[in-house]
Amino acid sequence: MELFRNVVSILSALAVPALMLFFLVYGTMRKVKVYEVAVEGAKEGFTIAVKIIPYLVLMLVSIAVFRASGAMDVFISVLRPITDRLGLPAEALPMAFMRPLSGSGSLGVMTETMKTYGSDSFLGVLVSTMYGSTETTFYVIAVYFGAVGIKDTRHALPTGLIADFVAFMAAVFFVSLLWG
Amino acid sequence: MLNHIWLALIGIGILTATGRDIYDLTTNTYGNDIPWIFDAAITPQPDGTKQQLQLRVSAEQRRMHFPHAVWENDNFSIPATLTHHGRNTFSIVFTLTDDIPDIFREMSDASGSKGTLTGNGYFRTDTQTITVSLDPVKFVYLKRITNAAFDSAGVAVQIALGLIGIMALWLGVMKVAEQAGLIAILAHIVKPVTVRLFPDVPHDHPAIGSMLMNISANMLGLGNAATPFGLKAMEELNSINPKAGVATNAMVTFLALNTSCITLIPATAIALRVAAGSADPAIIIGTTFLASLTATIVAVIVSKLLQRVKLFAWDRVEAS
Repeated sequence: MELFRNVVSILSALAVPALMLFFLVYGTMRKVKVYEVAVEGAKEGFTIAVKIIPYLVLMLVSIAVFRASGAMDVFISVLRPITDRLGLPAEALPMAFMRPLSGSGSLGVMTETMKTYGSDSFLGVLVSTMYGSTETTFYVIAVYFGAVGIKDTRHALPTGLIADFVAFMAAVFFVSLLWG
Repeated sequence: MLNHIWLALIGIGILTATGRDIYDLTTNTYGNDIPWIFDAAITPQPDGTKQQLQLRVSAEQRRMHFPHAVWENDNFSIPATLTHHGRNTFSIVFTLTDDIPDIFREMSDASGSKGTLTGNGYFRTDTQTITVSLDPVKFVYLKRITNAAFDSAGVAVQIALGLIGIMALWLGVMKVAEQAGLIAILAHIVKPVTVRLFPDVPHDHPAIGSMLMNISANMLGLGNAATPFGLKAMEELNSINPKAGVATNAMVTFLALNTSCITLIPATAIALRVAAGSADPAIIIGTTFLASLTATIVAVIVSKLLQRVKLFAWDRVEAS
């Protein structure tokens, strides 16, 4: 485990510089005019980012309205009997509901939970694992589909939410194992 | 699907906010129109004279105003600035310090003035008391969702514009790798996996390389690099999309991989644990890896199953 940890931390520090160097050196070796080609590629960055704006604005506004209204608390109390039965601790529910909706919101929930129950407690480790093992599904859908103008997202949202749910249940399972 | 969810988020939000405001109005949660009486010896002064005061809030006064609120701090006083107007009347501004109960801060936020509460009142020299009426607090939640909507609209544009730099950088580097033939080599290596995951995408298509880069970056917790690769991958997947505006099976499978992505290094979560003073911030690496691995396997299976469900079927929409 210790070795694995060391390897991953070195990997994460080296990844970006090494990747850039490798790409550019390899490109030069293959006689690519690196700067000119990179500029051509970089131009696309602007158009993609601008295309995302309307999708992201509408998605973030609806999530913000939902969050600010306090409807989340109502949802949590309604669904609590079900999640209790599934073994998801009630204290971790705000994280489970916030995570797919808002990245910054769930960071806030994580900080709050660790402050209340301790960062190395069962709940602290559980919410950290829940945060780390999933993405902000609504944000990803808005941004990724927005970039290519997809309006009919078909089964993307249900798939993403089911994946989030599975990740949360798996987090409870594996963190419980860790606690023995 | 997304249409309904989007509408539901806004609709539920507005309805909940309205309901809560009606509840607050009928139960008078914020103690509107109930005067506050404080002990203070004030003598008549010329108009416009300002006085600094410390007003002690008695338990009795508090119960009268907020019978339902829970108090963490039983004994506190509020600093206030009083401005004389007329013979024995004045306007007053309360400054909310850190030890003051949250309900005052909620009231202050609702009135749009951060950290202060305003009101007016009169003083009596015989009893040495002042009587203060605070400006009434109404529609706290409706104001809150209005502000949240405007704020987040601005934030969304900031996020998108903030992407420009990092997008330009990575797409530039990516273009070099593409022209050098590196992406094609990468795509070839993972061919046995990708032909099964993305049967509709030609195995030597540039989308494969971009998706691979995106997923690798996500695994290493490099969110900054992952987004540009991911968006590039979406563009390339869209270039072989016969129906504009409709998500292809490959896109949804890619998104399923992306949102549940196997995580080797949950960089943000670890950073936050360090900030929270954890003795072992990296303890979550193992649990996160296993949880995300489980989620990824399920996500891919679910995306493959749901793409056949009638509600989401590819054939239900005409090519445009």
